[in-house]
Amino acid sequence: MAGIVLSDVKKVYPGGVEAVRGISLDIEDGELLVLVGPSGCGKSTLLRMIAGLESISAGEISIGGRVVNELDPADRDIAMVFQNYALYPHMTVRQNLEYGLKNRGTPRAEIDRRVAEAARALEIGPLLDRKPRQLSGGQRQRVAMGRAIVREPAAYLFDEPLSNLDAKLRVQMRIEIRRLQRAFATTSVYVTHDQLEAMTLADTLVVLNGGRIEQRGTPIDLYEKPETVFVAGFIGSPGMNLLSAASTGAGLSVANGIDVTASLPLDGAGTIGVRPEDFVLARTGEAVTGLTAATTVTAVELVGAESYVHGAIDGGGDLVYRIPGRTKLNAGERLTVAAPASALHVFDREGRRVRTGY
Amino acid sequence: MAQPRVVFPNKVLPYLLLAPQIALTLVFFFWPASQALYQSALREDAFGLKTSFVGLANFRAVFDDPSYLNAMQVTAVFSLATAALSMCVALVLATSAERIVRGKTFFRTLLIWPYAVAPAVAGMLWLFMFNPAMGSFAYMLRRAGYDWDPLLNGDQAMVLVVVAASWKQISYNFLFFVAGLQAIPKSLIEAAAIDGARGAKRFWTVVFPLLAPTSFFLLVVNTVYAFFDTFGIIHAVTGGGPAKATETLVYKVYNDGFVNLNFGSSAAQSVILMVIVIGLTAIQFRYVDRRVHYG
Ligand SMILES: Nc1ncnc2c1ncn2[C@@H]1O[C@H](COP(=O)(O)OP(=O)(O)O)[C@@H](O)[C@H]1O
Ligand SMILES: [Mg+2]
Repeated sequence: MAGIVLSDVKKVYPGGVEAVRGISLDIEDGELLVLVGPSGCGKSTLLRMIAGLESISAGEISIGGRVVNELDPADRDIAMVFQNYALYPHMTVRQNLEYGLKNRGTPRAEIDRRVAEAARALEIGPLLDRKPRQLSGGQRQRVAMGRAIVREPAAYLFDEPLSNLDAKLRVQMRIEIRRLQRAFATTSVYVTHDQLEAMTLADTLVVLNGGRIEQRGTPIDLYEKPETVFVAGFIGSPGMNLLSAASTGAGLSVANGIDVTASLPLDGAGTIGVRPEDFVLARTGEAVTGLTAATTVTAVELVGAESYVHGAIDGGGDLVYRIPGRTKLNAGERLTVAAPASALHVFDREGRRVRTGY
Repeated sequence: MAQPRVVFPNKVLPYLLLAPQIALTLVFFFWPASQALYQSALREDAFGLKTSFVGLANFRAVFDDPSYLNAMQVTAVFSLATAALSMCVALVLATSAERIVRGKTFFRTLLIWPYAVAPAVAGMLWLFMFNPAMGSFAYMLRRAGYDWDPLLNGDQAMVLVVVAASWKQISYNFLFFVAGLQAIPKSLIEAAAIDGARGAKRFWTVVFPLLAPTSFFLLVVNTVYAFFDTFGIIHAVTGGGPAKATETLVYKVYNDGFVNLNFGSSAAQSVILMVIVIGLTAIQFRYVDRRVHYG
């Protein structure tokens, strides 16, 4: 049906900025694929190339088995939800929803049916005769969704649609978008820089960095088996602890105060990664196979059921680890924490994975 | 919205700084305006020896004068035609300037030049081009079999002054339309493109409605311009003729006062004009300042 296939797509902006450097992706019909990455990594550019708002410098994009490289946005059978909603300010909500259908010559009865259906799905019925400026941010967001839904397109494209909303509304709308996308089973590409949003929404998650794909997989895959140091640091909040390490004849040497007793397949210099939640408080005298770190507490972030402790490693550097929320701790206290060997991620000199935890 | 009030610690300096502006306004506006108001209630005999107070008689005479009603009609036609023509041309130019990729700045700079030309000079320019005796365009028109003679034909004279007055105003309108077009969020145009609206359809259903605030502002400004700022053009091109076909209200004030030396009537007419300006300014403040805002 309507999958999207990108093969070796590139974008060079006039002026020479290489925003997208050869991306191949296969997005299945009905799948919600999230493109996530830091600002400037080329997410929007890639999405806009799929939409037809940017020309494609090289490669091929097809939607539903049809190459769309040379097609106008209107002919690609896609709908897009913009960050600033891009509602037509001079039209009522109803006119906003109808506009795309009218332009395509959809019969009146069909337009009415679809608008009514979308209004019901989004609970925006009472707003239909208002102008966008009379709506709250969340309501505008719904109308923008509605404008995509009524079109019944082959694919929805989202460009950071929730970043203008406050935190609470963002969580609500995230769930809503997920629900609607499932209900209408429409192939979707969703762009965000927020890794939490990405994790919670995605069927498939693609991490972009510098115009290239760092890794593609299910959210849990990327969390548990990051292919690169970049992904390891990007996915998860707070991020994975990344410690520079070097293998010497006697074993692994990391910073002063950190002991590695596991045998890790590292050849030369590299990085060891440990997620904050994989640390436990080490009891004195108990030997652990893995990694122990002696730290001085510098700050405690209580987030409710748990706290994140920032500790200074004796040999320099910072470590973040999770402890139960009710533990009483003060800055300056000494604390030794340990992570089992199974939780250690090892990356080589180039930042590629040589071993995953778990 | 509440804005923090700026408070000057020095009590005298603000007035000193305002003094030149206040002095200018007093000398060049309030004094002549009061003179006009005073004059409008007087009548002078034919030899200028005796003046007498006549109350509102001058105003009554003005409104009874068929040539004044003619001037009103001429002004209305002239102003609307000038505003419409200059705005339409400016809009077409602004939308095409949007589409230019190379040399955008050059193109815009060229278009701004006419605004710097003095009205009388602009008038002379058009007069030279279309003068039936020596104008090159007039020659071409006649060669093409068109009976061109704005010195005799009132409608043609009107067309000529409208074109000359519009030409000067195009630059100004162009700048505002360019700014108006740039203020339209790009994502709206993109949304319209995805929604299947192309070319003319996109322009009329999305772009043009979003320019409404700009257009309304320009309509007021252009009307004011055509009313009051075009004396030089009319004076240079037609002198109000032929047979008063291009005699606007402002031109008639000049003609009756300085040519026919009917000071009382001329003053009464200026007072009427003053009321019109105040009215238009009020409209401008009321509607333009808090523009038709979208968002
Ligand atoms: N119209 C443009 N012209 C030139 N460079 C651009 C343009 N749009 C984006 N870029 C550049 O391309 C890169 C990727 O941009 P973008 O796709 O917007 O990133 P993201 O959405 O991931 O933040 C950035 O370096 C940005 O500066
Ligand atoms: Mg972006």
